[in-house]
Amino acid sequence: MKGKLEPAERQKLIEEGKNLKEALTTLEEDLVKLRDELQIEAQCIPNLTHPDVPIGWEDSSKLRNMVGSPRKFDFPVKDHLQLGKELDLFDFDAAAEVSGSKFYYLKNEAVMLEMALVNWTLTEVMKRGFTPLTTPEIVRSSVVEKCGFQPRGENTQVYSIEDSDQCLIGTAEIPVGGIHMDSIVAESALPLKYVAFSHCFRTEAGAAGTATRGLYRVHQFSKVEMFILCRQEESDMYHEELIKIEEDLFSSLGLHFKILDMATGDLGAPAYRKFDVEAWMPGLERYGEISSASNCTDYQSRRLGIRYRPSESPSTTSKKGKTNVAATKFVHTLNATACAVPRMLVCLLENFQQEDGSVSIPHPLRPFMGGVEAIYPKSR
Amino acid sequence: MALQCRLSGATFQSLKLATIPISSSSSRFIFRTLPKTLNLALFSRHSAPKAPPFSVLIRTLSAPAVAAAPAAETSDIKVVKPQWNAAIDFKWIRDNKEAVAVNIKNRNSNANLELVLQLYDKMLNLQKEVERLRGERNNVANKMKGKLEPAERQKLIEEGKNLKEALTTLEEDLVKLRDELQIEAQCIPNLTHPDVPIGWEDSSKLRNMVGSPRKFDFPVKDHLQLGKELDLFDFDAAAEVSGSKFYYLKNEAVMLEMALVNWTLTEVMKRGFTPLTTPEIVRSSVVEKCGFQPRGENTQVYSIEDSDQCLIGTAEIPVGGIHMDSIVAESALPLKYVAFSHCFRTEAGAAGTATRGLYRVHQFSKVEMFILCRQEESDMYHEELIKIEEDLFSSLGLHFKILDMATGDLGAPAYRKFDVEAWMPGLERYGEISSASNCTDYQSRRLGIRYRPSESPSTTSKKGKTNVAATKFVHTLNATACAVPRMLVCLLENFQQEDGSVSIPHPLRPFMGGVEAIYPKSR
Repeated sequence: MKGKLEPAERQKLIEEGKNLKEALTTLEEDLVKLRDELQIEAQCIPNLTHPDVPIGWEDSSKLRNMVGSPRKFDFPVKDHLQLGKELDLFDFDAAAEVSGSKFYYLKNEAVMLEMALVNWTLTEVMKRGFTPLTTPEIVRSSVVEKCGFQPRGENTQVYSIEDSDQCLIGTAEIPVGGIHMDSIVAESALPLKYVAFSHCFRTEAGAAGTATRGLYRVHQFSKVEMFILCRQEESDMYHEELIKIEEDLFSSLGLHFKILDMATGDLGAPAYRKFDVEAWMPGLERYGEISSASNCTDYQSRRLGIRYRPSESPSTTSKKGKTNVAATKFVHTLNATACAVPRMLVCLLENFQQEDGSVSIPHPLRPFMGGVEAIYPKSR
Repeated sequence: MALQCRLSGATFQSLKLATIPISSSSSRFIFRTLPKTLNLALFSRHSAPKAPPFSVLIRTLSAPAVAAAPAAETSDIKVVKPQWNAAIDFKWIRDNKEAVAVNIKNRNSNANLELVLQLYDKMLNLQKEVERLRGERNNVANKMKGKLEPAERQKLIEEGKNLKEALTTLEEDLVKLRDELQIEAQCIPNLTHPDVPIGWEDSSKLRNMVGSPRKFDFPVKDHLQLGKELDLFDFDAAAEVSGSKFYYLKNEAVMLEMALVNWTLTEVMKRGFTPLTTPEIVRSSVVEKCGFQPRGENTQVYSIEDSDQCLIGTAEIPVGGIHMDSIVAESALPLKYVAFSHCFRTEAGAAGTATRGLYRVHQFSKVEMFILCRQEESDMYHEELIKIEEDLFSSLGLHFKILDMATGDLGAPAYRKFDVEAWMPGLERYGEISSASNCTDYQSRRLGIRYRPSESPSTTSKKGKTNVAATKFVHTLNATACAVPRMLVCLLENFQQEDGSVSIPHPLRPFMGGVEAIYPKSR
């Protein structure tokens, strides 16, 4: 229409232009809607799976290794609830009145033991080059979703704040994952290794039964979490590093446990591969999960928008002065529980109980508890 | 801890009771029915320093959350039913009304004493009337037991029916009156210790000062700058992930927080306090019973969606709730707890430069002391608590002053309140780091915590007869042993060195693996 035209021709073109514009607007709207639909559907697709992961449900999970063996008791074994009562270590009844079921107060030596566990764990993991952090425990719900959790919905594990788009975190994995949201990190900065201490809140909706007694399943707990961001080629290696750290930590405390390579049906959408640690809990007479280490590859980073720019590689064919800016890649993220305090308390109390009713404190923790060697029954 | 909000925006907002302009006329008492729409503004001060913050008469509120009640048939008054009742001694209020009135005025509360007294009178009269009618109805019932003429019997039946109807109506009215009285009376603030200065913030009295401001021979940095240079916190990432006034602690700041908490717990335990960690989600009724206001426009309290639960702003709340609705043996008192928890505050209404950095945040760690004791001993334990705080902060080498807060600054639950303000050289002023309150029986009357005085041997008692003494309400006190972010501000700003490092106070070093200082990281 820029050229010289007869009026009739011009009019015809104007008509054509208008029709095209309308058709285009409609199509562009359709395209947006289609993209949105595609996005929503595609985001449901779970992460890929490591080739060695067993296929199936829980009973298909594979034993990687076992450390130690169940202690042999020559006296009747008490469970952690009974020990807690006798040693005046927790109060579930008052908490039920004040807050509801599955809440608790820790008292006396249990308080010092929690602090010792957290302190010792942070110290040990820091020695291995992790940067210590404490994190917000209230986060925007979008961050929760980007990490692969589901804040809304019937059986959600996530507490939401009224009149707000904020939620309580169920794990420090979420606020730590969010630190480098929507950014490009230099390759030289990787790996980024964090060890974060936070309180965690979970609704435990849908959980019921005897396996939820006492400290085993609670709404609020303290946890030390490890989180790594790394180059794509290295995530398998760091997964092994994380599970090794966990193995070292739990062995140091004298626990007997097994490490499982979780089967496909048990992975959850973000995890490419997941190792669970289950420790022997003599009072409950079974193994209970105390830790989990997941390699999420690029599942979370694609949602959180965390990329890295590979360093320039010197090329003999590049022209003088021309810089090759490499395309960015998505980091891989991994997370692993260094210490989930209530489950650790169950393990320590039940495994190290003595015939006289006392509980012996594992040696590594004693310096962090002012040298206390055992918890003794209080005279009443 | 009831932290004070200062006019220049210095301190934590007080978790104080909301102020409602109540529209009440004569005997009508109209409440909007939904708790959320009750215009309960938290007692927050952000206006001009010279005048009292609110030109509107403010009422320090401790009204219970009110639920809508079905409208009464007989009147158009929409009375709402309190979800719980404080054990208020109405007779005492009536018998001491001058003192109560003066106290209300001094605290600038707009509790309506006149209305309370009126309602109480009405209630007493109505009670008498109800009892009289009950007596008459019993008479009629008794008469009907004997031999009667049919006509007589019929008359009595009529009379009985009329009495029954009248009684039902009166009894309903009595319930409504009781509820109204309860709601009004619960607004009346606690009494005040005779030594407390009367007035607003500038009337607060200096109890004592410890140390003096350090003299620097190099430019002083504030905690935010130190935090940046030493890579100790990250507010920017937290703003993206959570919102403003959230933060990550990093590196030595993490160890310093743990050392502060650990050391504080250890020191306070040495003084006979039982250590606790507490739930951080509690029922909103417990929050109210402690004297805080979970609902309302400028509430400090975060609520959980689809639930009657809230996040705690201080461990005072879950600890106060431990002995809720119970009678403790006198021999068990005093009960002394030191509780560690995370605390969450909306800080609604707080703005300005005095809210930068760690000074005012939504989430923080705190170690709180809480005492339940016999009535005669609360003054003594208040002195004990402030002494502990003084010892703790002196040990760390801080320079601070202790203030006896004036009546206008107390907040409804506190009989007396001491605030500790520490020198913060980077902010170039004193900032509140701690607060110690004696709440006497204000919280215990709401939480329902009593004690049974031990039997006293009496020479005149008959053999075998036991004297069971009437229960009394405990007195409760609370005091901040360590509010971590404010302590971090103090430590960083006061102990910064010329080379950019920060020296760790000696008592904390063993709790940090012996670390003596925080040094700038090479970049």
